[in-house]
Formats: sequence, structure tokens, C-alpha cells
Amino acid sequence: MSDSTQKPTKNWLLAGLLAWILPGAGHFYLGRKTRGIILFISLSLAFWSGIAIGGVMTADKVYEPMWTYSQNLIGSYGGLCWYRQDKVYKEIAAEPDIKELFRQGSLQHKVIIHPSKSGRPDELQMRVDKELAKRNIAAVYPGASIARAYAGVAGLLNLLCIFDAIILAMMNAKPDPDEKTQSAEPGKSSTTKDESAE
Amino acid sequence: MLATIFTNPILVPGWLTLWLLIPLIVVVAVVYKTIRTENVKKLPVEIIKLTIYMLGGLALLGFAVWLIVKIFQ
Repeated sequence: MSDSTQKPTKNWLLAGLLAWILPGAGHFYLGRKTRGIILFISLSLAFWSGIAIGGVMTADKVYEPMWTYSQNLIGSYGGLCWYRQDKVYKEIAAEPDIKELFRQGSLQHKVIIHPSKSGRPDELQMRVDKELAKRNIAAVYPGASIARAYAGVAGLLNLLCIFDAIILAMMNAKPDPDEKTQSAEPGKSSTTKDESAE
Repeated sequence: MLATIFTNPILVPGWLTLWLLIPLIVVVAVVYKTIRTENVKKLPVEIIKLTIYMLGGLALLGFAVWLIVKIFQ
């Protein structure tokens, strides 16, 4: 599968970066196109199913930072969700009464919504939650939990793909045997490890 | 509907919660086996096998937990 004596022909950093930006892109770059396409379809489906179920507030970056980090393990998708959520928060922050609450300085938090130190929601947080509910974008149980699981698990699975792409690039792994067979001239031998073992 | 699909949440009925575990398990099996399997041609069989293992394992675990709850209730 790999030949460690040869100098790596693919850049492991680029493989990892591509795998992070778009699921399956790292494998595609390494010549494992079928795997790349499968990873792209399955991870994209899982991630966007989660976002479709939970909406823009699927993983609240203030309340659920760990889920947000998990989502961001798929760089482009996570970034897009982050941007959209940020936009919603900015819109809500522009509401006059919320702006006033924020201006009063009753909260010294850097972020607009934050649970108070006692763990109970403070006035500003409750007002923002109310606004989210009014706009029909507040994540609600049980859909919110399912949505977070889908998008978060997709992100964590992509972490697996990132590591795999990096390791494959470092090991100078060859493209998939099937793909080599397709590109090889007809009649020429292109037996693989698996096929020869069988 | 389409305009709000990734903005507004979809209301999921309670009974559907458990069933939505199956697609997630399938995705885990697909990704894991896509990375691990050496021969791409064997991928569908490997995915089905792993999905069944995971579903069976979770069902057994669920039954065990249910049994414990029933016994100690």
C-alpha cells in the first residue's frame, strides 16, 4: 500500500488542509478519487442534514462551544455556519431594546449572550432568547440535540479523514488500485496487494 | 420552505428521535470503512457489516440498560 523508501511526492500539509476545507478533498488530492467522492457525499449529507434540522442556531457558539469546534472541523461548512450565526447575532444586537440593555453595561461580557456567573440566564440573555424564538430560529429540543449530533459527528469524522490524508501523504501511499487499473493500458498487469493475496 | 431550510429548525417529533440514529450510524460506517478498507470494491459489504454490528451492539446495550432499570425500579 505504501512505499516508505521513496520520497513523498504529495505534500502532507496540503493534503491535510484540503481535507479540512472540504471533506474528501484530501483523498482526492492523493489520487484516491472514489474514496474522496464517497467521503464528500456522506459527510456533506450528514452535516447539512444536521443544519437543516437545527437551523442556523444548531450549535450556538456561546452555549455549545465544543459542538461549534466540532462543526468547524469541516472548515468551509463550519465557517459558513459560523458566519451566518454571527450575522443573526448582529441583527439581534441591532434591536433598540437589546442595544440599550447591552449599553447599560449590566453585563461586562465580551459576547452578546452569556450565562450569568450564577448560571442563571440574565436579562439580556433572556431577551435575546425571546428574539430568537420570535424569529422562529431558536433551536428546540429534541431536534436541536439531533442536529448537533449530526453536524458535530460529521465534523469529528472529518478529523479522522484529515489524519488519514496526512498519514497517507507522509507514507507516500499510492492511489487506489482500482483507479490505477482504469488508467493502465488494457492487457498490462496491474495486480494489487489485495488481488494478489486472493 | 426552501428559503428557510437551513435557517429555521425543523420540528422533529419525539418518536422519530431514535430512528434518526440509523442514518448517523450508516454515515459513521461509511466514513470509517472508506478510510480503512483496502479494496474499494469490498466497501458496500464492509459498510453493511459494520452498520449491522453497530446497530446490534446498540440494541443490546439499550436492552441491557432497560433491563437494569426494570430490575432496580
